[in-house]
Parts: sequence; structure tokens; C-alpha cells
Amino acid sequence: MIADHLFFAGINLLLAWSVYVVLLSGNLSFAQGAFMALGCYCAGVLTVKLGWTLLPSVLLAGSFSALIATIVGYPTLRLKGIYLILVTLGLTVCVRVLLENFKFIGGVGGFGGMKGADLTWVLMAVLIFGTLLYFFSRGPMQLVCDAVREDELVAASLGINVVATKLATFAVGAFIAGVAGALYGHYMNFVRPENFDVLLSIYVVLYVVLGGVNNMWGPVVGALIMTLLPEYIRILAEWRPSVFGLSILLILLLRPQGILRFRMSTQSSKELLRHG
Amino acid sequence: MLVGQVLNGLVNGAMYSLVALGFTLIIGVLDKLNFTHPEIFMFGGFAGIISINYFPAPWGLVTSFVVGGILGLITEWIAFRRFKSPDSKITAALSSMALGLVFTDWVQKYWGTEPVSLPTLPSWMEQNVRIAEVEFPYLNFFILGVTCLLMITLHTLINKTRMGRQIRAVAESPMNASLLGIDVKKVSQVVFFISSGLAAEAGFLLSLRSASANSEIGLTFGLKALAIMAIGGLGDIRGAMLGGLLIGVMEALLFVFGWGRWVEMTVWVVVIITMVIKPSGLFSARLKTQEARA
Repeated sequence: MIADHLFFAGINLLLAWSVYVVLLSGNLSFAQGAFMALGCYCAGVLTVKLGWTLLPSVLLAGSFSALIATIVGYPTLRLKGIYLILVTLGLTVCVRVLLENFKFIGGVGGFGGMKGADLTWVLMAVLIFGTLLYFFSRGPMQLVCDAVREDELVAASLGINVVATKLATFAVGAFIAGVAGALYGHYMNFVRPENFDVLLSIYVVLYVVLGGVNNMWGPVVGALIMTLLPEYIRILAEWRPSVFGLSILLILLLRPQGILRFRMSTQSSKELLRHG
Repeated sequence: MLVGQVLNGLVNGAMYSLVALGFTLIIGVLDKLNFTHPEIFMFGGFAGIISINYFPAPWGLVTSFVVGGILGLITEWIAFRRFKSPDSKITAALSSMALGLVFTDWVQKYWGTEPVSLPTLPSWMEQNVRIAEVEFPYLNFFILGVTCLLMITLHTLINKTRMGRQIRAVAESPMNASLLGIDVKKVSQVVFFISSGLAAEAGFLLSLRSASANSEIGLTFGLKALAIMAIGGLGDIRGAMLGGLLIGVMEALLFVFGWGRWVEMTVWVVVIITMVIKPSGLFSARLKTQEARA
């Protein structure tokens, strides 16, 4: 049982990180569920239909998601805020309907036969991505992302390729989500397109919001709390959406400026500009 | 056959329009995306059920509008009052999304996740009329009539009344409006009341049509209306009206040509294409002028 819970916590943690990585360059993506589904089905086809082993198919599934993200992201990442929310939501719905309509991968009935992933796999994935993210956050690329997120114009005038940065974070986010999806599919043995509903994408974004977006530990906190606590506290499991929604509302209401602000707060830099 | 399907599509489209109108009003005036909106639309059906149990059926129209409006006021108070600045657009969207989750959960705790069927309707609504060799229930004309009436009322309200002038002023610039002595808080409350009322009304009409209220339509039907609003142009009232009708008819035609499986996707594909090619949407005239938004 505990292995089960830890596995799903790990998957949710990976998804939360995938949202966080996209958010690094200032884009809120509601398409992580779609990328998870793509990774899941891609890895499934590779192992079940083509007889590959798990590791290369997981990696290829991640890359496939990243590729799709790059293709989709190139025209859409020019959009901002509400527009990007709409497009990514649309992407999630589209991928689900597409999966439902391909007979080759089972359609609405679902796709089965994947096996082989267990807790060790997901822990390894969490460990690897965690280490990479940790070194990333101390390296120069983090500063580039910060610049792009805080002010695109300034970043561009500093010689940073804004589009490439946004695209890269989007693709990396999709890669992580794809890997998470592949592992999820090979653990569940059987998946349906409806497993990757819009609600999943919404939930994952809210994990990150709940935990905080200031650093890579925020998503960890959010995902672990919301996945593990309901398993052990009964009342939480029954009222899960309510508890979840209310705690997010509380956090947003108590720290209205704090949630979508990163380590370099826009507010203080704006004040600096005004007074200095 | 074809005519019947087109009429059916129009009725569906009318309901899309009503929900999309609500989205567009709030985006146009306050520049915020209200994700509680689909859930208020969903609740319209349940408000209708409660009302039909105690009053004659047509009263459901009034009750659902008022109940929806009050829920809209609550939404504004909880999820939007604190996030007024233009910087907090996304925060407001997220908080309303969280409120929507809570709201759906409560409805599902009380009524369950299965569709709840409506009490029997008055017989005149059930009667059919033959048009172009298709049986067509009076109910559909009732729905179209109510929608037209609501749209005309809204149009008059926005363009002809004092309140409408204030709403348009706030849409142009909240700060300038408040300098001119307009109570911006009151205006945004009115906008939330109207938009949520329209959504709940659409929810009631939909429940009349399918003879049941479903707690899960918020994220399907409701989000589709969001997409339609985006196609018509964010904040554009005419775009929401026409976009809804257009998509309704288009979906009906897709069914006629045997493409029914792709219906759920079509709208979103159109949205993505619209956003990439022309993010301002199909129509450019809106409550708020172009420069003010950029």
C-alpha cells in the first residue's frame, strides 16, 4: 500500500516539477496532462507493440513529448497570460480526443499490457530530475530564466534569446511530464484517455500554486501534501477537492502578491525604479 | 433532416452564447478570467430543480437567474475582490478555479455525481411541432425565445442605460471611471451578477432540454463556452453571441456528416488557430478599445 502511495506521490511530484520548469520562464501551462498522456501512450506503443525494453522507451517517450511541445510551443509561446491558459487548456482537450479516436492504441476502451515500472523507477526519476533542477537553479541558466520571466524586453536587450528560453523550458517541462506519464502507464498496466482529463492538468498546476513557486521545493511540498495526506486522513480523502480548493484560496488570499512572485520580486524592483 | 439539425444546433448554440456572454462580460469589463463561471452554469440546473419542486416551471427562469447572480456576487467577493491590479490576472484565474473546485465538490456531495432528473414539466413544453418533416418540441422555441430576450435586454442595458454607460466606462479604464465618480466596486458587482445570472439561466435551460441536471457539465460544456468566447474575441459581446450560435450549428453539422467523434475537439482546434493567427479574436469591436488592453 505504502509503495502505491509513494509511487503516485512521485508521479505527481514529477508533474508538479514539469509545471514549475515551464513557469520558470513565466508561462503557466495547463497542458502537462496532455504531455503526460503523450508520453504514456508513446512508451506503451514502444514496449507493447514493438517490444522495446522500458528504459529506452521511457526516454524516447519523454523526447516525443518534448518534440510535440516544441512544435506546438513555437507559435503559441508568443501569447501571454489568459491567452496561453486558453491554448494549453485546448491542447489538453485535443490530445484526449485524439487518443480516444485512434483504434491503434485502443481508443476510448483504453490501452493495456504495459508493465515493469515500480517504485524504484519513479524514485530514480525523482532523484535524477531533482539533482538536475538543483544544479540548474544554482547555475547561470536560472538567471537567464529569471530575466525572461521578470521582463522580456529587458532580457531581450541583454542579448538573451527570449523565444528560445521559453521554448526550452516548455520542452523540458514536457519531457518531465512525458517521463512521468510513461512510468505511470507502466505501473498501472492499463490506461484510458479519460485518465488524462482537463482536471488532472488543473490539479497539477494547483499543486505548484499551493506549495509556492519561489523555488524547486514548493512543488515538492504541494504535491506530497496533496497526494499523501488524503491517503492517511480519511476526512481529507472524502473532502479532497474542497480541502484542496479552500487551502489554495486561503494561500492566495493571505499572500495575494506573494504567490506568483519569485526570488527577485517585481514589486521591489518597480519601487526601486520609481524612487531611485 | 438538415433543417432540423441546424435548428437543434441553434438551440445548443444559444446556450453556448449565454455562457460565453458571461465570460466575455467579465473579461471585457474587469479583464479577469472567471473559472467559477462554468460551475455556476452547472448549478443553474440544480437551482431550477429546487424551484420547479415548489413553483410553476417558468418561475425557474427567475430563480436560477437570481441564484446564479448571488453566487456571482459571492465569487466576486471571495476570489476577485483582492486581486484587482492588472498584474494579478493569473492569480485571480487560479483563485476562481479553486473556488470552482470547492463549489463542484459541495454540489456533488449533496446531489451525487449522477445526473439528477427533473420533475415533470408542464405538458405544453413537451408538445411537438412539425417543421421540415422533423418533430420539434416547443421547448426548443421556448429556449430560443428566452435567449433572444436576454440578449436584447443585455444589449439595451449596455448601450442605452446609465448603468451600461458606467460599465463601458469601467471597461475603458477603471481608474478614469473612478475619477469621474463612478463606483467601480458597484459596477463590478453588477457585472458579476449579470454574467453569473446568464450562466445559471443557460444551465437551467440546458437542464430543461436534457430533462436532468448534471454536476459534471461544468468542465465540458462550460469550458467549451470559454473557448467560444475566445474565438469571438476576448471581451466582445457580439463575438460571444455569434460565436456560440456558429459553433452550435457547426457541431450539429459535424454530426450530420458523421464526424461526431471529433466534436469535442473542433472548438479547441479553432481556438488554438485563432489564438495563433489573430489573438484578438474574430471581432475587433469590443467593450474595451484595443490600445487600452495592450
